[in-house]
Amino acid sequence: MSDASLIDELPGELLMWVLIVSELLVFGAGLIAFMGVRLTDPAGFAEAQAHLYRTGAALNTAVLVTSGFLAAQALHWRRAARRGAARLALIGAAALGVLFLVIKGAEYAGKAAQGISYETHPFFMFYYLLTGFHAAHVAAGAGILLLVAWRDDPRNIEAGAQFWHMVDLVWIMLFPVIYLLG
Amino acid sequence: MPLTSSFSKYSRRRPPDFLTFAWLALLALSFASALLTRLALPPQIVGGGILLLALAKARVILARYLDLADSPAWLRGFTIVLAGFSILVFALYLV
Repeated sequence: MSDASLIDELPGELLMWVLIVSELLVFGAGLIAFMGVRLTDPAGFAEAQAHLYRTGAALNTAVLVTSGFLAAQALHWRRAARRGAARLALIGAAALGVLFLVIKGAEYAGKAAQGISYETHPFFMFYYLLTGFHAAHVAAGAGILLLVAWRDDPRNIEAGAQFWHMVDLVWIMLFPVIYLLG
Repeated sequence: MPLTSSFSKYSRRRPPDFLTFAWLALLALSFASALLTRLALPPQIVGGGILLLALAKARVILARYLDLADSPAWLRGFTIVLAGFSILVFALYLV
């Protein structure tokens, strides 16, 4: 199989895959750095992690995978010429993205109320950096989903949904490392 | 012919039942992760199990949401890289 045909196998636009791989590498490097720094103070990292709101984060996992489902479903419906259903699914996916941010915001507010900031411990520096950067992607992704619901060419929806699935994928890898591996 | 190649890609799309199954699988795997953290097991087993479940979830997203199920070489490549990442994280966790 030639390189050209292998690249042609990728669904959607090649540049979107370049973006997906880039984002995975950036977050992956951040998580490896987090685990590396953890080696200097495993007990402190475990104690800091105990302050996290795991239930909210687990709920956010369900919210994001459901949102991803709606985005994928929207593309299927748009290709089947069901434009109204596709638009509703995209708006629903974006609304779940907003719900993710609300839960995340409550989590940050809880930390602030406890006097926890990024300066409290190196754990929290990584926590705010990685989850904050991810939340910024969620905010951008929700906006993109609304944009492609309006400009609903199938190729636009495919690109928007792929961005959203990348955000989902990053969270799936980020959640266990930051929240669960104590 | 960009238009033709785009439409040929569209035709490879999985029917929605696969998406529903993927969504339910992701919810079940997430529930299993939450359950695992509540079991009285050695941390090494819990940590390894959590990373394995995360890898399974990532593979479902790649295969069904990102539609790589029809591009096995790419799906295999992404899975290998993510498995390598998970092994590295697990090794650092065990140190």
